[in-house]
Amino acid sequence: MAEYIVKENALKDFFKALTEGGKRRFLAPAEVSGKLQMIETDPEKVSLDFGNTHQSPKSAFFPQTEKLMAFHKDTAKSDPFVYKPLGLDETAPMVLFGLRPCDARGLVVCDRVFQNNRFTDPYWKSKYESAVKIGLACHDPRPACFCTAVGGSPFGEAGLDAIAFVRDGGLALKTLSAEGGEFLKGLSGLESAEIGAELAEKKQAAEAGMPGPLDQSKVAGAAVMEIYNQPHWKDTADRCLNCGTCTFVCPTCHCFDIQDEQNEKGGLRMRNWDTCMSWLYTVHGTGHNPRPTKTERMRQRFMHKLKYIPMKQDGACGCIGCGRCVTLCPVNIDIREVARQMNG
Amino acid sequence: MTSLPDLNQKIQSAAKRLLAEGKAEVVIGCRQGTTPMTVAPIFCRTEDDCNQLIWSNFAKINLATYLPKYPGKVAIIAKGCDARSAVGQVVEKQIERENLYIVGVACGGLVDVEQIQAREPRPIRAAEEDWATIKLSGDGWSSSLPKEDVLRRNCKTCVSRTPEGVADELIGEPTEALPADDYADLKALAGQSLEEKMAYFKGLVKNCLRCYACRNACPLCYCPVCFVDETRPQWLGKSQDEMDTFTFHLLRAFHCSGRCTSCGGCEAACPMDIKLREFNRLLDEEVQKDWNYLPGLSWDQTPPLTTYRPDDEADFIK
Repeated sequence: MAEYIVKENALKDFFKALTEGGKRRFLAPAEVSGKLQMIETDPEKVSLDFGNTHQSPKSAFFPQTEKLMAFHKDTAKSDPFVYKPLGLDETAPMVLFGLRPCDARGLVVCDRVFQNNRFTDPYWKSKYESAVKIGLACHDPRPACFCTAVGGSPFGEAGLDAIAFVRDGGLALKTLSAEGGEFLKGLSGLESAEIGAELAEKKQAAEAGMPGPLDQSKVAGAAVMEIYNQPHWKDTADRCLNCGTCTFVCPTCHCFDIQDEQNEKGGLRMRNWDTCMSWLYTVHGTGHNPRPTKTERMRQRFMHKLKYIPMKQDGACGCIGCGRCVTLCPVNIDIREVARQMNG
Repeated sequence: MTSLPDLNQKIQSAAKRLLAEGKAEVVIGCRQGTTPMTVAPIFCRTEDDCNQLIWSNFAKINLATYLPKYPGKVAIIAKGCDARSAVGQVVEKQIERENLYIVGVACGGLVDVEQIQAREPRPIRAAEEDWATIKLSGDGWSSSLPKEDVLRRNCKTCVSRTPEGVADELIGEPTEALPADDYADLKALAGQSLEEKMAYFKGLVKNCLRCYACRNACPLCYCPVCFVDETRPQWLGKSQDEMDTFTFHLLRAFHCSGRCTSCGGCEAACPMDIKLREFNRLLDEEVQKDWNYLPGLSWDQTPPLTTYRPDDEADFIK
């Protein structure tokens, strides 16, 4: 584990060095159309002063639209159907700087969905495994932030190769993984330093004003159907618009729909983000819909975050407390309120 | 001007009375949200529910959106725009007039949280409001903003702030209608080239996520299956293809032409702050010019584009 500082006047050099001479795509919080987003950006345009990016960084690894395969017909061949996988070998590895610790935990939740002992998604894997992820701790968590309520911290380290915090306009940095240590070693702009005590102090200060753990003990102990049949769902569903905003901004929502788009010459297979808030998400070819009303659809999202993911991921909460859904829900459906109702 | 606590008191009393008298099985209104500057719609069925009702400058969506899906007798705490949308739904036969009770509340306009945050970038830990002022506070600071400075765009040109004429009862002192939208920016746009106009409209929706929050928040979008969700045939691709996204917005705007009450619910719901009303305004202007029609102000006037007469003088319809 190595510790460094980057002085303010060395920041740009450091960010440039992270691209390893242009071999890596550099993603960092930068403004696009008036919103701060985790995007591929110029090392000159990185923002260090922000609450969190407007959308989660999941799209770096799981784009909203991802081309999986191209196909066409070649009648001159004995097997006329020609398939070509797309995207697996074309992308340069990424380095992400400025991931908030909550979002890094969100990526870990997604990683266990896309890579586990049953499946490996090559499209996710090819991007995720090769990426270097450098976090930026939160000094000043926002009013809707609640990472501490769901097992995280504004200075959390899960899913990160290194964590930084802002110090005198520059950065202090600690490596967390062997890959992170190797990657950062000798990079321009870095100076070795002792930052451990300062990091611990800042972590404590940032956590001090944040909410305590959200009690989910009863949810963890209860049978699925017990929570499924609780009466409160109907009340929350009354005001839910099923608009899907929560799912689109959520760092751990990962559902997709695979579609072919084609003409007479050939076509593309792509996957697009889908949302369980949509009627279309579950409708069968017969017309039957097992989630016929917005109550079932809204319930599914909370059950998935707070019951199904913990069941499948050794108790880890599917919500990482970034607060985006709380802030952006047009009818103020607050996952903390729902979690409390679920816990009785 | 009635103070907000007084107004809240009156709204709560009216709601309790309507439930007690059986005029409504549920009263739809707003309650305080869980974070600063938010409100949550609430479906009141008990006295306790009614006691939570408030009027707030931070209300976001148009409550009439809920009406077509509600089967029984329902009362709605309605600002001018909510009431107009509810009237539109009756006119378009989505709800029964006798099942609807409109508690009209005179509105002084709603505020745009994005604009507030642009003026006050520090983390806002608490917000208080009265009729004219928004008071904000955070860690060791407080400030206040005149509401007029951070009004939602649609509220600046509202011609129906008080739902007079259509409400079953009215709460609060009526507020004056504001000068109507003069569409000056759109008139300037009309003078531009086709390419420039196309670039303008494509630019508006370039950040669209296709979440359809605008549609789901819209009181006009009550179709059981939206054209974007049709699968047999599938009219529209599901990717972030520019033309698919653009087609969604254009078609939705045309479906809403002459029916939109400028409530701004679509823009308030949009997570990407897309100025969705630009499409609707363009068509509103056309409808107003050709038919001198404003939706939701009368129980018996139907939107021009949903009207058909066999003796229509236009040739194209025969």
